[in-house]
Amino acid sequence: MTKITQNNIDTLKACRYCPMCRQSCPSEFISYRESDAPRGRAILLHSVYLGGKEFDSSAIQAIYNCFLCGACKSWCSGQELGGYDIPELIKFARRDIVSHGLAPQSVQEIRNSLVENDNTRNLDSKLSCTALVVEKTADVLYILGEGVNYTNPEIAEAFIRILGHQQIQYTLLKDEPTSGKELDLLGYRKEAQEKAKNMAGRIKAAGCKTIVVSDPLVYDALKNDYPAWGLKLESEILHVSEYLLSLIRSGKLKLKPTQMKVTLADSEFLGRNNGIYEAPREVVRASAGENFAEMQWHHEYLQSAGEAAFTFDGSAFKRGEELGRKISIKAEDINAEVIVALSATAKNNIAATTGLRVMDIVEFAANLMV
Amino acid sequence: MKFTQNSYMFDMVLFELQDIAGKEHVSTRASDKEVYSIDYFWISEMWHDRQAGRDITRPMADFIVHPANAEEVSKVLKVANNYKIPVTTWGGGSGSQGGALPVFGGIILDTKRMDKIYKIDEKSMTVEVGTGIIHQTLEWELEQKGLSTMHDPASARCATVGGFIAHRGTGVLSTKYGKIEDMIVNMEVVLPTGEIINTLPVPKTACGPDLNQIFIGSEGTLGVVTKVTLTIHRLPESRKFRAFIFKDLSTGLRVGQRLISENLQPSVIRLYSENETKEVIKKVLGIEKTGAYLVYGFDGKQEMVDLQMKYAKAIADQEEGEDLGTELGAEWWKNRYKFFFPPYMFHLPQCFGTLDTVATFSDIENVYNAMKEVVETRYPMARFIGHFSHWFPWGCMLYARFIIETPPEDPHEAIYLHNSIWNDALRAAMKAGGVLNEHHGIGLKLSRLTPELYGNSFQIIKNLKKSLDPNSIMNPGKLGFGV
Ligand SMILES: Cc1cc2nc3c(=O)[nH]c(=O)nc-3n(C[C@H](O)[C@H](O)[C@H](O)COP(=O)(O)OP(=O)(O)OC[C@H]3O[C@@H](n4cnc5c(N)ncnc54)[C@H](O)[C@@H]3O)c2cc1C
Ligand code: SF4
Ligand code: SF4
Repeated sequence: MTKITQNNIDTLKACRYCPMCRQSCPSEFISYRESDAPRGRAILLHSVYLGGKEFDSSAIQAIYNCFLCGACKSWCSGQELGGYDIPELIKFARRDIVSHGLAPQSVQEIRNSLVENDNTRNLDSKLSCTALVVEKTADVLYILGEGVNYTNPEIAEAFIRILGHQQIQYTLLKDEPTSGKELDLLGYRKEAQEKAKNMAGRIKAAGCKTIVVSDPLVYDALKNDYPAWGLKLESEILHVSEYLLSLIRSGKLKLKPTQMKVTLADSEFLGRNNGIYEAPREVVRASAGENFAEMQWHHEYLQSAGEAAFTFDGSAFKRGEELGRKISIKAEDINAEVIVALSATAKNNIAATTGLRVMDIVEFAANLMV
Repeated sequence: MKFTQNSYMFDMVLFELQDIAGKEHVSTRASDKEVYSIDYFWISEMWHDRQAGRDITRPMADFIVHPANAEEVSKVLKVANNYKIPVTTWGGGSGSQGGALPVFGGIILDTKRMDKIYKIDEKSMTVEVGTGIIHQTLEWELEQKGLSTMHDPASARCATVGGFIAHRGTGVLSTKYGKIEDMIVNMEVVLPTGEIINTLPVPKTACGPDLNQIFIGSEGTLGVVTKVTLTIHRLPESRKFRAFIFKDLSTGLRVGQRLISENLQPSVIRLYSENETKEVIKKVLGIEKTGAYLVYGFDGKQEMVDLQMKYAKAIADQEEGEDLGTELGAEWWKNRYKFFFPPYMFHLPQCFGTLDTVATFSDIENVYNAMKEVVETRYPMARFIGHFSHWFPWGCMLYARFIIETPPEDPHEAIYLHNSIWNDALRAAMKAGGVLNEHHGIGLKLSRLTPELYGNSFQIIKNLKKSLDPNSIMNPGKLGFGV
């Protein structure tokens, strides 16, 4: 097995017998199995890395059932001193599993699809909304990410409406490639880095001053993974919510007040990994003002909508609605009328479970701009 | 289990279980068997920790079943009786006594899918819930409505309501609001033979014995509690704390006893022994003091709390306590769960155990001294610390701990040392007027000592077990029962 880092050993040793963050783990409360809880995963990995056991296929599945949401970290009162990091440990284990050729079939299929088609779902790139793009020279490069590109073109259309309204020159990437983030999260670092190199090259070739990203996974990749892998992007990188906020603050973008009660579903990859909590709130408040209300769980205690839930129990993950339902219940509890989401995954998973209006932050802004 | 995994009988039983709970809710995966073989019992952890390079393994379940309701539990138990398969109920696996470990294999019945909140009755001030709910999840739902059970244990985030009932659990507010057993209005229970029964709608009747009391604390040996109605309270308008250092433990115990007997109704009294004051309080709260640290707290209407605080302070002043003020008390409240997270919590390779016991005010200090003496004199490699955290009209509980920094490397030797300390310390406690346990239960850890505690009255409990569980399938090896 690959040599494990000291930080991962510390996490293994602390978490293997500690059940204290389990109530926050979304994967445990999908299957209700102890092996899908943080403690369970640490026990299984401890057996492998410090107990001399071989990986067995069910343990590998438990490692791939983790959503890498980071809730365990947020709820751990030992963090400050211990720095325990289960998502990092899981990512390490996945790379190790991959390097030994042990990745489950479903994971290999996603990998192959990403390598061949630049998306996780084996879709022909002609079906993406960037298939017909003609790249232009512009100040702003808008990167959609897989969800918006393949399943939620309405989010891209809304953002393009805002850019048009603001008379901002922008470009998209034709056949927008994958950022490599999903490959890395699944344990395929080599392939991820190749894809990242390709994406970075395309971004550089576009020559834009500002990169605006919809998808939290892509944002996280550009902000954190690329620099760590030596891929320097000269441009400023903003999430759409940060970009919208800058337009609002500069007075260029004005939103009509809404009388509807609006709430926000935080994103784990934006929030927990990048500390972006306030920008989307300020955008929402710019219209909703006092009608903005928090759900019970927000900021670092957010509920995961499954941004990185790719597979579960050996097949493609199909239970995102169960995660979405937990969020919509909390929105209904506070009598919200609109739920603003920050990723296509969140929008789809939440919208499937509620009669409330669910929209992406850019749709929210586009609908209300004056 | 009489059949092995490669026999077709295994598949026949598996099919019956899958037919009851649904295929996805029955697991025979190696990963689940491994994870369900370790709870919070030191021996199960140590045995896992020491597996590298040794030919040792832990007892494991054959099937892990996640039933959705009492009907499914009932059907599982009927199958188990048909084939005489052991059934061990598992809530959160946070028990420290090995109670949830499937030591004779068979079925693990994980209750966590039974996690519905059925009814919050703000008139009767009760809540009806599935016992598989993680206690904190219930609390957060109640909190939204300004309510709470006031059961506030450190393991609220990881243990189930059913687990607390099975072990007679307690929380930091027990001095005012009671242990979980004091909060139970009625229960739905699946008997070992599969019948689903309900206890009477309310507990304070004069209709014969209270059936709730048979199942509370029975640790999954007499049935599975599937639903419960608990009392709830409005969240208090005010909650205040004050901390003091007293010159020694005896003085601290006297202060605690006076707070109770002078009827001030504190919700919290925590008194730390001199050495725990030095060790734990310093680690978590950063206070360096000698003496015995005591924090008390009151909750309720603001004016009443202020009055209670005033009278309590008068007692502390009379006993010459060094006033650390309200901030350090509040700080303790804020950090009350922090003690239990790594790296604050004791952990392997250390060997440790929570020797909690309870006795009258007349006996409790003797119990503490007897345990301390036996641990310190017979086991010089062990540290002994203790605090007193749950107070009753007649006495209080002692939350003692032993800690050994470097226990024997050989796992068999380590078990011998661990068990010897438990035997000696608890025999000393029993001799001085204490009992085996106050809120963690008996489980596997203390099973061997249970007949000793009860003496000839243990026969009554054994007879009860025999009549409710004729095939002895429920949690064998625990609570003093054999196989
Ligand atoms: C960090 C930490 C702090 C703790 N602090 C406290 C504390 O403050 N107060 C306290 O009381 N305890 C505390 N404990 C101990 C533990 O949480 C309790 O013993 C709790 O009651 C166990 O609940 P569980 O759901 O985890 O049960 P498990 O460990 O899964 O099971 C315990 C026993 O209950 C039985 N059981 C479980 N559910 C049922 C059911 N529905 N019907 C019948 N039998 C059942 C099992 O068979 C087993 O015998 C702590 C534990 C940890 C890990
Ligand atoms: S992350 Fe913290 S709370 Fe969670 S298992 Fe690890 S040590 Fe325990
Ligand atoms: S990262 Fe999320 S899904 Fe994974 S163990 Fe932690 S809480 Fe559970």
